Amino acid sequence: MRQLPVADPGTPDLRSAHHFFMWLMKQQRASVLLGIVWGCAWMVAQALVPAVIGSAIDALAGRRTGAFTFDCLAVLGLGVLTALAGVLRHRRVVMNFLDAAYRIIQLVTAKSAALGNTLAKLITTGEVVSVGTADVDAIGSGVDVTGRGSGAVVALIVVAAILLARSLPLGLIVLIGGPIMTAVVGVLLKPLHHRQQRYRDQQGALATRAADIVAGLRVLRGIGGEPAFRTRYRDQSQQLRFSGVHVARTESFLDAAEVLLPGLFVTAATWIAAHYALHKVITPGQLVTFYAYTSFLAVPLATLTEAADRIVRSQVAAGRVIAILRLRPEVADPEQPSAEPLPGATLIDPESGLTVPPATLLALASDDPAAMARLADRIGGYIPDAGPRLDDVPLASLPVASVRSRILVAANDAHIFAGPLREQVSGASLKPEQAVLAAVSTASAGDVLEAVGLDGALAARGRTLSGGQAQRIRLVRALLADPEILILIEPTSAVDAHTEAAIAASLRTARSGRSTVVVSNSPLLLDQADQVAFIVDGKVAALSTHRELLVTNEAYVAAVARAGEL
Amino acid sequence: MTAPTREDDAPEPSAVPARETILPVASGSQVIAHTRRVMAKRWRELSAVVALYMMATIAGLIPPSVLGSIVTAVQHGTTAHTIDLDAAVIAGALVAQAVLIRFGSLAGAKLGEALLATFREDFIAGVLGLPLSTVERAGSGDLMTRSSRDINALSVTTRQGVPAMLTAILAVALTIGAIAIDNPVLVAPCLIVVPPIWAVARWYLRRATAGYLRESATWGVITDSLAETVEGARTVEALRLAQARRARADADITECFAAERYTLRLRTVFIPGAEASYILPLAGVLSFGGVAYLNGWCTLGQVTAAALYARALVTPMEQLIDWLDHLQLGAASLARLLGLAEVPADRQPGSAAPRDDRLRAAGVSHAYVPGHDVLHQIDLDVDVGERIAIVGPSGAGKSTLGRLLAGVSGPDSGEISVGTVPLIELPLDDLRGQIALVTQEHHIFQGTLEENITLGQPDASEASVRSALGAVDALDWALALPGGLATAVGAGGLMLSAPQAQQIALARLVLANPHTLVLDEATSLLDPRSARHLEQSLSAVLDGRTVVAIAHRLHTAHDADRVIVMEDGRISESGPHRDLIKAEGAYAALWRSWHGKSPKQHRHAGLTQNDIPQDPVHNPVDNSSTTASRGG
Repeated sequence: MRQLPVADPGTPDLRSAHHFFMWLMKQQRASVLLGIVWGCAWMVAQALVPAVIGSAIDALAGRRTGAFTFDCLAVLGLGVLTALAGVLRHRRVVMNFLDAAYRIIQLVTAKSAALGNTLAKLITTGEVVSVGTADVDAIGSGVDVTGRGSGAVVALIVVAAILLARSLPLGLIVLIGGPIMTAVVGVLLKPLHHRQQRYRDQQGALATRAADIVAGLRVLRGIGGEPAFRTRYRDQSQQLRFSGVHVARTESFLDAAEVLLPGLFVTAATWIAAHYALHKVITPGQLVTFYAYTSFLAVPLATLTEAADRIVRSQVAAGRVIAILRLRPEVADPEQPSAEPLPGATLIDPESGLTVPPATLLALASDDPAAMARLADRIGGYIPDAGPRLDDVPLASLPVASVRSRILVAANDAHIFAGPLREQVSGASLKPEQAVLAAVSTASAGDVLEAVGLDGALAARGRTLSGGQAQRIRLVRALLADPEILILIEPTSAVDAHTEAAIAASLRTARSGRSTVVVSNSPLLLDQADQVAFIVDGKVAALSTHRELLVTNEAYVAAVARAGEL
Repeated sequence: MTAPTREDDAPEPSAVPARETILPVASGSQVIAHTRRVMAKRWRELSAVVALYMMATIAGLIPPSVLGSIVTAVQHGTTAHTIDLDAAVIAGALVAQAVLIRFGSLAGAKLGEALLATFREDFIAGVLGLPLSTVERAGSGDLMTRSSRDINALSVTTRQGVPAMLTAILAVALTIGAIAIDNPVLVAPCLIVVPPIWAVARWYLRRATAGYLRESATWGVITDSLAETVEGARTVEALRLAQARRARADADITECFAAERYTLRLRTVFIPGAEASYILPLAGVLSFGGVAYLNGWCTLGQVTAAALYARALVTPMEQLIDWLDHLQLGAASLARLLGLAEVPADRQPGSAAPRDDRLRAAGVSHAYVPGHDVLHQIDLDVDVGERIAIVGPSGAGKSTLGRLLAGVSGPDSGEISVGTVPLIELPLDDLRGQIALVTQEHHIFQGTLEENITLGQPDASEASVRSALGAVDALDWALALPGGLATAVGAGGLMLSAPQAQQIALARLVLANPHTLVLDEATSLLDPRSARHLEQSLSAVLDGRTVVAIAHRLHTAHDADRVIVMEDGRISESGPHRDLIKAEGAYAALWRSWHGKSPKQHRHAGLTQNDIPQDPVHNPVDNSSTTASRGG
């Protein structure tokens, strides 16, 4: 039994959707082949049953007990083979499905992680998630169907051989009529698929309505309006009901046609075969065989149709997967990385005139807080070919991982991942409990720790936390990452004044010996900084202490004093 | 039908406050009783469907029997005319079967759609009627699952599963009946497979539901983790979590693989059993029939017909087995949908009407976890028209007090009343007319912008909607939307920003017109200047009303008639802003440092120092008017 997931999903062949699909199959060549073998055995075992039944009837008619006993045992044997091959095939193709599906998820996860900051600029979450669900399913199904599909082809050949050997004209009628009948029913089903799609869309809309009510329930229950919502939902639900009946009307005709058309074909073929039997061209047993095959043929034919459909879908899905796997991050590692600057380097940004000396708490106040994110991105090395450097070494000439490990830009929209609190604030490697507790205390996040617990689970996106709690958990995580240069963007915008004061007071001690850049206009934070750089139009307009600037710089006062809000 | 399981109902891992609840699930017998009640109402339709299906199945059983007689006839010599006649009978039976299927399938769908509509509408009505405290506590995860996955599962079961099961059961029963009519002896080999199949199916079904639920849950986890990796890609890069995210995916896959292997093991037992159940009757009928024929107990045609019938059992048997676990899932979903009816009411509405609008809390204590009080003996009298600001550090109990003051739930001990009537004894509709609560939680409903504001007052005029929007500084951007007030917003429409959503929440409140408002950080998502401006425009509209505002920005406190400072579930300071500043307590110190003053000693927590600011230019109390226009 295979163990999944594999440790290394391998390097995929991204030349085309088809190449990628074949690459997935090649990764488990033996297993796919085995699936095909069992699929063939399974289908052929079923395909032989009508022939054996006919033979048994003839044996009975001729009172040949030996032959009859043999046929009965053959039916039993084929039954056992069907059961055995069926389950072995099933086990095989489920494994093949999973191998392919898991491999794609591993590849897409690794690619998303590697794209990092670039990802959001190239593709939406929805697109990647739909690749991770629908497309993975489609490709897995494509891999899965190879077993049954091959079985269907072999079964058709076997049936054709049997029928043609019994009677050429009857064999031809069945072999030509069967596929035509399948095709006709397929054509009839087309418009139904359309209508079903519309029904599903309406169903989706109603589900959205229900989700909308549930998501807004707390708001709604606070302010009223339930009757209106109940009515609106009921109206939409009744529309769906009638549209369902409308679809069902078409469906009911098709249900009938699905019985009637092949049935009439079987009847006609049987009628002709009965005349042949009457004239002793075929035996009564062969008549039974023909009758049974006319209806049996629908099984391999439907399987083939399904296989074709699934293969096409899997190719389309594979196309979407490779589109993601081909993406490249915006900021790439340099071909010839420079030598690493020593620890304690000074960060210099010529464009803004900003210098971050080692072991300093530097605050950035600005006339336009909204524009500060870009400045932070630049000095954090997120913008390709920008000019900031560490001592003399341009960030662009250092490996990306090295820049990220030395400079951390901690923003308020940073994602909080689901998982145990301690693990999630620890980042790349689990931090000692003492360190976690110290960071929690610096960030005044004791209340969150108390509510969640060190090993308690945080929900994805921190959605069980209030805005202020989430912000402080982000701060804990940034502090624990303990980078040489930590850039905090508005780290206290969502917390109350009491807590902000406490955080401002302890941040300096917690970061002593390291550089910290705080982007904020809050006097509580500014007052704690060694230096405050006042940024106007993206450039350093003044550099001094908060108290000094309060007295000397009117624009600064206008920007930061809360009076501006009054 | 097994009792519905609860494993998959685990609530979202929650942080604040500790939520002890998950919503109830109906018991197996309740589900059966409810289904029976609903079915009884549609007794006629149900019998018509069953009758049509039954006749269609019977028509479908005619051709094998006729073929059997052709075999006998051919064996003993017959005429071409007889064969033509037999073929005509088969064709006739087919046409009859097709017509019956047409009407049966339509009648079945009509019934199914009607039932489904009833189930989902009842569910939503139940959701809308949930007690406010349950809604506050339960989180949306569980309800969301019920409203999406369970309604879907029930839909599949009702629309496809039930008709398929019905057809299959009728087909199996009637086919065996046909064999019995053909030759009773041949029924025996069909029945011998029943006990082993029963045993295998029972073994399988006992495990299948839980197994498949777990399986689909593990796939859900994979999707969630992938979505997180994608959404948080920048964070992954910044904190160098790529390796951790890959490990996360591998761990999720390992879980999923274990679940998949479990269900695969179930099927490894089940599939051979099921497959055998199709073939054994055939082999049995053939051998029994052969022996019977050789001994002259029946004709060759009867053996043929019986063998064809036995072979025809395959399809309905497959369907039956395929749909059995779906049916279980459907029943489990129905149990969750019906479970809402089990939520106990949390209010004991009395008939007493409040004497006046005075809000009063006396000796209020409250705990989410027994023994851990978050509020201790709070006493608070709110004058009519008074504006109170509650400030204090996180976790001080501000939000809990706010919820209790708004009557969302009753306090563990003590009493909160309006005009001497305890809030918990006011009917919900009356309570809403008295006190409203707006938190930082916001939601834009699917619909037009106007509908989003008129929620509770569908008859509100457009002019009143406009003035409500104006009161929250939102009229300008609202009118600038592509469709103005008629713009479709929310899911599927225009997505409003969080600050805009917060303004809409406040506009609803303005329109709802209660005499007392509790605002829990209701402007926290706006940038400070816009928030400031909004509060000022709002205050014009709220003039004369009682307002309790929980705020993290101190200017709210500055504007209030009374500031209440909370710490550790107690009120530590209380009084007008000026008085508290004069009192030189923790609030005064905080105010100064927050406000951008430069006190001399400021290196410590900032809460205990008491020096007076020396900067004469920026007196915090007097400079309020000049720059107000910069907001918004």
